[in-house]
Amino acid sequence: MNFRKFLVAQSILVAASSVVFPFYLLLIRNIGDSYSQFGWAYGLFTLTAAFTYPLIGRLGDRFGDKNMLLMYTLGMAAVMLIIPLLFEVWQVYVIQIVMGILGAVQKNTEKAFLARSNDKDTAGKRIGNYHLHLSLWSGIGIILTGYLIDFLTIASLFYLISFVYMIASFVIIKKHKDEPTIS
Amino acid sequence: MKKNIILISTLYGIALASSLWLYNQKPLLMEDVGQLLPTKIKEVHSATSEAELQRWVKESISNHEKISVAGMQHSQGGHTYYPNGIVINMKNYNKILDYNPDEQTITVQSGATWDDIQKEINPDNLAIRVMQSQNIFTVGGSISINAHGRDIRYGSLIDTVESFRLLTPEGDIKNVSRTENSELFPLVIGGYGLFGIILDVTLHLTNDELYQIRSRSIDYEDYPDYFVQEVKENEAIRMHIARLSVAPDTLLKGMYVTDYELVDHQETLAKYATLKRDTLAAPQKFMLGLSRYSDWGKNLLWELQSKVYVGQDGNYITRNNAMRGDSKFMEYDNPSKTEILQEYFVPIDEFTSYLDDLRIVLENEELNLLNITVRYVNKDEEAVLSYAKEDMFALVLLINQGKSKEDIQKTEKIIQKMIDVTLEHDGSYYLPYYSYPTQAQMDEAYPRNKEFFEQKKKYDPDELFMNLFYKEYSQ
Repeated sequence: MNFRKFLVAQSILVAASSVVFPFYLLLIRNIGDSYSQFGWAYGLFTLTAAFTYPLIGRLGDRFGDKNMLLMYTLGMAAVMLIIPLLFEVWQVYVIQIVMGILGAVQKNTEKAFLARSNDKDTAGKRIGNYHLHLSLWSGIGIILTGYLIDFLTIASLFYLISFVYMIASFVIIKKHKDEPTIS
Repeated sequence: MKKNIILISTLYGIALASSLWLYNQKPLLMEDVGQLLPTKIKEVHSATSEAELQRWVKESISNHEKISVAGMQHSQGGHTYYPNGIVINMKNYNKILDYNPDEQTITVQSGATWDDIQKEINPDNLAIRVMQSQNIFTVGGSISINAHGRDIRYGSLIDTVESFRLLTPEGDIKNVSRTENSELFPLVIGGYGLFGIILDVTLHLTNDELYQIRSRSIDYEDYPDYFVQEVKENEAIRMHIARLSVAPDTLLKGMYVTDYELVDHQETLAKYATLKRDTLAAPQKFMLGLSRYSDWGKNLLWELQSKVYVGQDGNYITRNNAMRGDSKFMEYDNPSKTEILQEYFVPIDEFTSYLDDLRIVLENEELNLLNITVRYVNKDEEAVLSYAKEDMFALVLLINQGKSKEDIQKTEKIIQKMIDVTLEHDGSYYLPYYSYPTQAQMDEAYPRNKEFFEQKKKYDPDELFMNLFYKEYSQ
């Protein structure tokens, strides 16, 4: 996986998660009927991530960043298909655990990929550039959401974003001309 | 690689199709602010146009589906939904259709709230005649429960309604007033949405007025005489509310009265006419929180309230602002508990002895009673399900209770006792709340309920319009 492809994939999935995030919050707020349940849902997400990071790091070294990122995008595409079906608190808790693991995969892979890069001298510039794109797409995602919701129901928004995660998956899978088959 | 893409796409297609299929099967849970009756419904339609409403009614007739009509859903006995039924949410059907300041009338779509009306009419120094103490409710919902409030001169809401249009169980639209289709008028008002969908309503307004608040502490034994001689007889007093102590030290004895008295210098009204906004209400919310958890909190709250209410004595307020009571501080989020209302009506001369009997029940039972307000309702028997058999005091009780089955049974036992006491004093109770009262209590408090339900079956023989209240008491 070259840097350019990595950047495109990351930009797509950051934009997708920015679109979904406020509505996901709304959804778990509506299903949980107290702030303590809301707190638990979020706590579970973070705690799962915390405890899975070491393992995910090792898996990343073994299977490669490309496969890890693919696991994230496919996993999120599947999760987005499940979210509209949730209606009980325990289901939200389970999804939060799954998303905690996936979130850890994404974050760890992102940093590992950047760290694996060889040109240490221009790392600052490179990462700065990378963040420009990511933040830009995140901003676009957030602004777009405000308009999208006038045209879509919340459930169809999740389906749409699931599809966007699939597009990101295809970007990752697609073989690049100057790229060996195994990354 | 192509193989992989095809495989992933196929799997994704299957997953997407299953998800969509499951989504369509997903039960939709509905509950009202009482939170005691979560019920699976089929779907919610949000109304914005008359054509749409008519189409849904006709579709439901041919599909043999049930319809419930919902506004703010502050009725607490499942009055706004029914198992596997369709809920029509009227909140977005809220335009002001016609407003005639000279004639003091306004016609609004039934999803409009009192707040919407106040904003429209306040610049012309007009005000609403009768509404609840809070302005968050829809007009259609308020009419369906025949609401009343702090006003003591204009009767119940039914007295201020000129006419309305009703979408009937056949899908037709009828004009209803005291002269046209007049049989429906007292059935639909206070009819809990069982006779059709109220489309729009024409209401009589009155002048906005400047009042001076008169607030003082009073003993419950002196209250009926005070009310009859000094409030009712004094034409200048237009609105009135009182509070009864729930603090253990002064239970059902301590009272505060607040009268709204017309001032002579009405020309200064403009100075006070800006509509007040919802406040943060953090101190009230905190104090109510304390009183939920302890007797100590209840005593403290009562002490502090005395200072707050008596402290308002002498303040000026417009009618419109007096009809914009805070409601934010009563919002309550707790996973296992909820707050419910009860309202009991007793004749004025029974008030003192009634409270003495009610106190015995409350002292022997464990009920987390947080607040009681007292209002006055004129005798008004126009509505078939009328609660004001004579001039009465209305006591609104705010009760904190658990949501579990055991908690509901426990509360039921106590509430049935309280209603028995109320009925013994020739009283009645209000219907928009949870179905705690027994059928026998219903029959005694509402002697015309059989007639009401017979008329319902006459106008809606297929029972298109359904709700849990009807299911509970129509048998």
